[in-house]
Amino acid sequence: MTLDRKVGLLAGLRYKGGGPMLAWILHRITGLGMIVFIALHVIASLLGGDIGIAINTVYQSLYFQLFVVFGIIFHGVNGLRIIVLDLWPKFIEYQRESTWLEWFIILPVYGLTAFVMISRFLAGE
Amino acid sequence: MEVKLKVFRYNPEDDEGKHFDTFTLEAEPTDRVLDLLEQVKNYVDGTLTFRRSCAHGVCGSDAIRINGVNRLACKVLVQDLKSKTVKIEPILGLEVEKDLVVDMEPFFRHYKSVLPYFVNDDPPPMKERLQSPEERSRFDDTTKCILCASCTTSCPSFWINEEYVGPSAIVNAHRFIYDSRDQAAAERLEILNDQFGVYRCHTIFNCTDACPREIEVTKAVGEVKKAIATGRLE
Ligand code: FES
Repeated sequence: MTLDRKVGLLAGLRYKGGGPMLAWILHRITGLGMIVFIALHVIASLLGGDIGIAINTVYQSLYFQLFVVFGIIFHGVNGLRIIVLDLWPKFIEYQRESTWLEWFIILPVYGLTAFVMISRFLAGE
Repeated sequence: MEVKLKVFRYNPEDDEGKHFDTFTLEAEPTDRVLDLLEQVKNYVDGTLTFRRSCAHGVCGSDAIRINGVNRLACKVLVQDLKSKTVKIEPILGLEVEKDLVVDMEPFFRHYKSVLPYFVNDDPPPMKERLQSPEERSRFDDTTKCILCASCTTSCPSFWINEEYVGPSAIVNAHRFIYDSRDQAAAERLEILNDQFGVYRCHTIFNCTDACPREIEVTKAVGEVKKAIATGRLE
């Protein structure tokens, strides 16, 4: 396979593709985010000791957890949206609505999860 | 009204490199972006180079990036632009030859690769090859392509790898794959079932937004994907 890239990352990102392109970029970022998360988990257990503890502290922190949970929920729901559009191309006509529906699911699910996480954190659990 | 036109410039024969030139022009709200480019070329700087032919959205030669999205210069009115500063750049993913002119060779190579012509080896009937209105309407949308390359050059998969066959070629394959009179659907699906074929499409929808003929490009690609996966034409 030859990689013949003519367009730089920044030039590509400057293209104004709008919502669906952003969803795709976010899908990639959250996918990579999950890989990093799992890799950190494995590395932490593998190394143990001070480094292991340091890594654990990072990914157990509330901010990191909030980010990871968002990543998982977004990646899952957006992935399902793409699967549905791929399996039933007739729905592609409604792709704009499908993006709305997606956020309609993500926001309450994530909002609720984040609420529980933050309140537990504040309660010192 | 006054419009600022910020145009990408590149001349391989001078050493100024890639840069932008800004022109301040007097324009009517109903002028098209193409009119602005013509105004520069005819009255300000004759070296400005761009393609255009019909000026009526038919030939597909003036696809460029206007304020960050692919559009035909001859179909965008000044009054429809959100700002009074208009940024004009060549379409992405193809080598720039001069100013707004890009090398379309890779684009047409992919187009040719999908057998974009009618194939039927049966002896031609005495009259026409009949087709019902329903059969004709099955591929009506994809007959509208004017090969302007707006869709292919808006596609991140194509930016990443020029070997990707691209939405436009798939649209043109779709036009014949779903034609009831054609006999080479299986062959075309085989060509597109390749590592650089339809599955490089990640359903990003830039192509559908970019198409000046309002073809449901992503839908056509989706239908071809499904036909390959199921082996059936629906
Ligand atoms: S000049 Fe022919 S399509 Fe614009």
